Amino acid sequence: MFWEQLDGRLLPLVQTPRDTLTVSLIEFLFAFCVLGAIAILPRSVFYGGLILKNLWRNRIRTFLTGFATIVLVLVVTLVWTVLVFLANVTSEKANNLKAIVTERWQIPSQMPYSYAARLTEGAPREPGDVRIDSSRDSMTWAFFGATLDPQNRTRENSLFFFAMEPDRFLTMMDGIDEMKPDEIEAVRAGIAQMEQDVTKVIIGSEKLKAMNKRVGESIKVSGLNYQGIDLEMTICAEFPEGRYGQSALMSRERLNRSLDEYERKNRKPHPQANKNLNLVWLRVPDTATFQQVERQITTSPEFKSPAVKIETASSGVAGFLDAYKDMLWGLQWILVPFILATMSLIIAMAISIGVRERRKEIAVLKVLGFRPVQILILVLGEALFVGGICGFIGSAGTIAYFNHYLGGFKFPIAFFPIFLIPNDAYWWGPAIGVGTALAGSLTPSLSACNIRVSEVFSRIS
Amino acid sequence: MTPIVQVSGLSKSFTRGSETIKVLDNLNLEVPRGQFMALMGPSGSGKTTLLNLIAGLDSPSAGSIVVGDKDIAKMSEAELARWRTRHVGFVFQFYHLLPVLTAYENVELPLLLLPLSASDRKRQVLTALDLVGLSGRMNHRPGQLSGGQQQRVGIARAMVTDPTLIVADEPTGDLDSKSAEEILNLLVELKKSLEKTIIMVTHDPKAALYAERVLHLEKGRLVQEVLNAPLAPVAMAT
Repeated sequence: MFWEQLDGRLLPLVQTPRDTLTVSLIEFLFAFCVLGAIAILPRSVFYGGLILKNLWRNRIRTFLTGFATIVLVLVVTLVWTVLVFLANVTSEKANNLKAIVTERWQIPSQMPYSYAARLTEGAPREPGDVRIDSSRDSMTWAFFGATLDPQNRTRENSLFFFAMEPDRFLTMMDGIDEMKPDEIEAVRAGIAQMEQDVTKVIIGSEKLKAMNKRVGESIKVSGLNYQGIDLEMTICAEFPEGRYGQSALMSRERLNRSLDEYERKNRKPHPQANKNLNLVWLRVPDTATFQQVERQITTSPEFKSPAVKIETASSGVAGFLDAYKDMLWGLQWILVPFILATMSLIIAMAISIGVRERRKEIAVLKVLGFRPVQILILVLGEALFVGGICGFIGSAGTIAYFNHYLGGFKFPIAFFPIFLIPNDAYWWGPAIGVGTALAGSLTPSLSACNIRVSEVFSRIS
Repeated sequence: MTPIVQVSGLSKSFTRGSETIKVLDNLNLEVPRGQFMALMGPSGSGKTTLLNLIAGLDSPSAGSIVVGDKDIAKMSEAELARWRTRHVGFVFQFYHLLPVLTAYENVELPLLLLPLSASDRKRQVLTALDLVGLSGRMNHRPGQLSGGQQQRVGIARAMVTDPTLIVADEPTGDLDSKSAEEILNLLVELKKSLEKTIIMVTHDPKAALYAERVLHLEKGRLVQEVLNAPLAPVAMAT
């Protein structure tokens, strides 16, 4: 069964930070902060003022602690961005699922294009079978690798085309919501041109920059995986920086025509002619429909040589990410805990030194009648303030720098070249900062509460 | 006069390794309300320990300490903290003002623990600073004040809650003779005008002259009691 295949494949791969930092911990931190705020509300000006003054007293130490927190929050935010993204794309949805049909036994998948017509409908055979609207809810992919200079092939002059139905790009591809409205409109205009003229292509802005080409220019490319297919193309639009910044889009029809032309010229079909359908994407409304379509396709006698398989997009991606499983595990369970522990230690060191330096002052506060819990608020408050504020600066700064300045975090993994920091990161930073500050400062704070006044003053005298 | 402090059978021991050191040994003492009393004795005689016990900063090994109508020897740490806020003002040898706070804020500290409005707190602080003659320096930090001025702020902080008892541990120990004289005269003035009970630990016989009653301790026992002439601000012999 599909679900049995899924089990054990997806779940161990990536857990979200929400799982790591369990909800109960977040609730605990939130409750702690709220109760603390309520407790000190009547004297908030005093506590806040004294906390700030004590932090300001040791500006260099406060700055260094805060800076370390910001840097470590930045690293954790970047790691979690990748993990959360992969967790999202590999987690099953109940509705509006995407399914991928690929060749069952071979990687890379190479199916004959003759499969496309029936697969894009979901291969209904009998009355009552699900029929997918192939003009709206399906697309076919062929990967066309090409270079501008076959004699001197470089990373810069090579590019990778999705040969597909252009009008599906905006309706079926992922990550369109990451584009700005004007960028979407520019792509839409380009797609309209591609539908009129199959020689038109859209290329990612980063790839254009690398090739030193601009929109409006014509290029001639030589096929890499389609040897002997040389195509002249006109760049009609560009994808913005980000997910498709390095990619390119060409019309499926163009590839089909060029294969036909190759056969006419060479009096024999191109070696790839019968295996130029790499993937078929289907959009189904719910799990039940998916299971029905899965049954229709896998039991159909039309797709036996080569045999095909259908799986949800998340399952497909998870399978693809199996190669990165150890690295992702290391990021999640070694790197991130190590960073969090380092943050706690840095804050613990800073607070411990502060408490040691101020033993006399804390003793004086106790003499004046300050209770241990009030001392605790003052000492913990410093750590939580630094952790919370610097955590927020760290995560907000990460969002600002990577999303708005660099256009995303470039960490090529699988077929995801770039990651945008999610808005959730706005609370990751303060939560990480406050959590690690709490963990790091608890022991020194408790030791501050337990300072024995008579011992402190007997040492002084 | 009714005693404000009654100490009965008070003992205090410390353990250092396997050795037990008896600092106070079955001590009995009464301090009448409104008395200015000095505790003298050589180092290690137990005078600071006795002061700490009366101020509720430490717990006795045996015996009782009744201040007002409360046996503070039986109180928990939290109860003692609350009690100290209302009933004890402490003057330290080295002032121990918080360096990040102004004179005003240092004096205001103990009031923050009491249910007072901001305006009431302000009035109390200004009165206390006025009493010690530092109204004009209220916005100065401790580092901007002389030793004598810092000790005045310390005294203002000790009396701002209008405590039952003011305890002072070598309040002139870190001051030059002129400043010491001013501080002692201030304590005498407080005792006279506000009828405060003051217990002061000192090594200095000249400082002890300002007190009405001087107790001498040796090896944890009271060995001598001297009653001085009625109080009047006096000049210290140099």
